Amino acid sequence: MQIYLPIAALSMNLFFLVGIGAAVGFLSGLFGVGGGFLLTPLLIFSGVPAAVAVSSVTGQVAAASTSGALSYWRRGTIDLHLATYLILSSIIGVFFGVATFSALRAAGQLDLVISLAYLIVLGSVGTIMMNEAVRALLKRRAGIVMREKLPSQHTWIHGLPMRIRFKKSKLYISVLPVLAIGVVIGFLGSLLGIGGGFIVVPALVYLLRVPGNIVVGTTLLQMLAMMSATIILQSVQSQTVDIMLAFCLMVGGTIGAQFGASAGQYLRGEQLRFLLAALVLAVAIRFALTLVLPPADPFSMAVVGIGGIL
Amino acid sequence: MKRLAAGLALVLVLASAGAVRAEDLVSTVSNPNIAITSNFDGETLSLFGNVEPDSGQAAKGPYDVIIVITGPSVDRVARLKTNNFGLWVNTEQVEFNPFPTYFHVLSNNPLLKITDEQTLEANRILPEAQARVSAVPQSLHVERFGAELVRLMSAKGLFGQNELGVKFLSPTAYVAQLTLPGDITNGLFITQTYLFKGGKLLAKRGDSFAVNKTGFERFLFTSSRDQPLLYGLTCVLLAVGTGWLGGVIFKR
Repeated sequence: MQIYLPIAALSMNLFFLVGIGAAVGFLSGLFGVGGGFLLTPLLIFSGVPAAVAVSSVTGQVAAASTSGALSYWRRGTIDLHLATYLILSSIIGVFFGVATFSALRAAGQLDLVISLAYLIVLGSVGTIMMNEAVRALLKRRAGIVMREKLPSQHTWIHGLPMRIRFKKSKLYISVLPVLAIGVVIGFLGSLLGIGGGFIVVPALVYLLRVPGNIVVGTTLLQMLAMMSATIILQSVQSQTVDIMLAFCLMVGGTIGAQFGASAGQYLRGEQLRFLLAALVLAVAIRFALTLVLPPADPFSMAVVGIGGIL
Repeated sequence: MKRLAAGLALVLVLASAGAVRAEDLVSTVSNPNIAITSNFDGETLSLFGNVEPDSGQAAKGPYDVIIVITGPSVDRVARLKTNNFGLWVNTEQVEFNPFPTYFHVLSNNPLLKITDEQTLEANRILPEAQARVSAVPQSLHVERFGAELVRLMSAKGLFGQNELGVKFLSPTAYVAQLTLPGDITNGLFITQTYLFKGGKLLAKRGDSFAVNKTGFERFLFTSSRDQPLLYGLTCVLLAVGTGWLGGVIFKR
């Protein structure tokens, strides 16, 4: 069944859209990640204009983080104090991200920057994850019992000024790195259509020593606020949010995530991380190919001024 | 078919009435207001006309008719990707402003058999001529980018040419059929009809029809343009609502 996407200005199959939403939702439930970094590329590769894909996936990530944040809220494992700092700084990042997005789009370079940014972000994150996962797998095979490394020693980050006490996380740290993480993720998230969980969670755990039981819920809440701000700003500034597309993805994603979460219980952590790393690298390679291989048609066209279009 | 009959009746009425100076043209469109829903497969429209003879004399053919249908204009750019240090990057662009979103040429004979190139060019009958006049800045690449833009638009069915698109029902009465694609732009479409005899332009006549998209998708589109803040807030509510509902139903 074809469904017309009013902002993307193209017809797509409803089942295909709900299907990829569900598939990515399944993977996000399985790996415990947002899924934006998979969904946005999939849409771009299936012909949705990159600008519309990025902005609309934001809606799906907001929906996914709502159900996630809700369950962590019930368990009481969200550090609201820390989340507030992250949210405020990430919204500042979102402002910069959306402004950059519009400027690049007007210059005709948005697709290029999205492809390059995905290649760099996914390529480096994927390589780190793969490296770590392979080592863990090899060690397990060799019979070495891995102890969860609990980083306790202080780094230079803990020597920064403007320290604040975050009671729930049992931390007394400078706000500067917290704000920096927020701004960076707000910028990247709004520019690339990702929640950025796979960047924020490691950053909070390894750099700031936020406890593992607090970090996920706090990140999800931050993601929800950041993605909501992105939706509103993109709607106003670039007008590229396709509510129809977003809704199809949300429905699929919400359902898929449930099955993914239960399937995740049957796989070991290292295997999961290995699979996720392989997936991330595959997407990065696909972007590299679009940049390096000669395009089917070197010419393209775009509407740059509204003369009462549609 | 009903429309066709009605249109023909109208043409005959028009043909029989009217004081005439030289050879003139009467024409009409079968449906001046086209309301389409977003997922329609294309609307067929008929264009009719009749050649009015010189006063007192019988109309002598053979006549040739060219109909140019032009949709609303927007500002468009054509961009070229080139390979820079291994990466394919948009490096050159030419802006066409204003450029029609729809442009079709229908005729009863090949255009160059009807008249010469100068006449076609002067009346902007060829799509390339559209590109030539609207390009900013008037650079060296206009010809090439204009031709590529016309090619891209033709591939989407928005530009086109049909040299058998006009049929003469009698020596003086003609009919043309036009199928509008689903992704056309809302607004006023101008149909310009040119009457030729022996390569000479005898008469010109303009008609118009309006395309109006209706339906839910159209409503969403206008909301996103007219009320962007409200549209954004709705998206957020929809996302939070869907996520919340999912969380409740599946008890995560």
